[in-house]
Amino acid sequence: MPKQFEYPEIFSFAPFFTIQPVLATREKQMGLWRELILSYHTSLKIKTLRVHDCPLWKNKEIGRELNSEAINTIMEDFVESGHGEWEDQTKTRCRILWRKPEQLASDIYDWADTNGFINSVCTVYELHSGEDINGMSFEGADEELLRRALLILEKQGKCTMFKGETSEEDGIKFF
Amino acid sequence: MAHRRGRAGIGALKKKGETSKFTKKAEEIKTTSLKSAMETVKQLEIKLTKFAKAHHKTIAKDPAFRHKFLSMCAPLGVDPLTTKKSFWSFLQMGDFYHELAVKVAEVCFAYRSRNGGIMSIKEVQSVLLRRGTKFRLNEVVTNYSADDIVVAIGKLKQLGSGFRTVKVGGTQMILSVPTELDNDHVQVIQLAQNAGGGITLNSVSDMIGWEDDRVKRAMDLLLSEGMAWIDRYEGLEYYWFPSVWKDSFVM
Repeated sequence: MPKQFEYPEIFSFAPFFTIQPVLATREKQMGLWRELILSYHTSLKIKTLRVHDCPLWKNKEIGRELNSEAINTIMEDFVESGHGEWEDQTKTRCRILWRKPEQLASDIYDWADTNGFINSVCTVYELHSGEDINGMSFEGADEELLRRALLILEKQGKCTMFKGETSEEDGIKFF
Repeated sequence: MAHRRGRAGIGALKKKGETSKFTKKAEEIKTTSLKSAMETVKQLEIKLTKFAKAHHKTIAKDPAFRHKFLSMCAPLGVDPLTTKKSFWSFLQMGDFYHELAVKVAEVCFAYRSRNGGIMSIKEVQSVLLRRGTKFRLNEVVTNYSADDIVVAIGKLKQLGSGFRTVKVGGTQMILSVPTELDNDHVQVIQLAQNAGGGITLNSVSDMIGWEDDRVKRAMDLLLSEGMAWIDRYEGLEYYWFPSVWKDSFVM
């Protein structure tokens, strides 16, 4: 049973659904939309935003909805912020990156360092579901996202990946 | 004390011989009245300080009582908050209002980007309540009222910080930006308050009878300061005020 999402107050504020002409106000508004999109998808554990039927674009209770231009503006801003990326050329589906891969990468490395995993090996499985990672930002993370984070670490020379018997047993050695 | 009595007396003597007697008497009475008035004030001050000593606990605990006490002090020119006389410092009111002022300012700053720098006192109170912020006065954790917040803002004003209160209808708002809000602006915000939602430029002209230019000028400033947001709905443009909208939530 998916848990109910608690909409922020701003969602009931009619002007929230009109892109504000005053720059400072618009920046505030965009920030609030980014927060809303991120927290909605994260708390309901929805990995992909489908632009054409996302329930966030309208609030029936106050009779307001975003027009298509406004939706575009908000999506462009969201993707640019690094919390989303398009899955397709036509920009109809957006994968939600609840933590940017760069953030996850540094979280993972810090954890490895703190827990003595430097110069030692752990599996991808352990990273998202192991015993030592309770409360870590990457706990329960999407494997795809984890691998992207690990790729970043690899590029930085902070780890190396090698294949295991199953993808879950793929290993990571931290440096 | 220098008397003007002599000069006036001489002047009167010069003008009308007989009435000089009365002028002299009038001056006498004036001086005596002033003397006795000053004596009365001194007596009142003494009474007030006795009162403060006897009731300092209640002053600390009870916001309504505190408010009454301060309103007794004001006409006597006594300010228990800022006077350096060591006597009044036992009340520790200066510290209390200073702390309150700082917290109020923090809340205003935190919400500024959302409401443009205008926020109702009620809303500030509800934020502080939600955060569980407590204040101590005379070692006692005390409640604080809207009146206390007004006094605290007054203190901030003294420090030249640009904080001030403005009354919109029956609601006290705190302005934390240097923006000059004139009567036109306040009236527009009040209209929004009465309307309980967004208002159009036309509805403003209809209700107050200003020409379009005047309405637009007022609204443009409020919009550019972020105190108003635009809502485009079914071909019309409505202006909403986050501070008014939020205030309507607070019980």
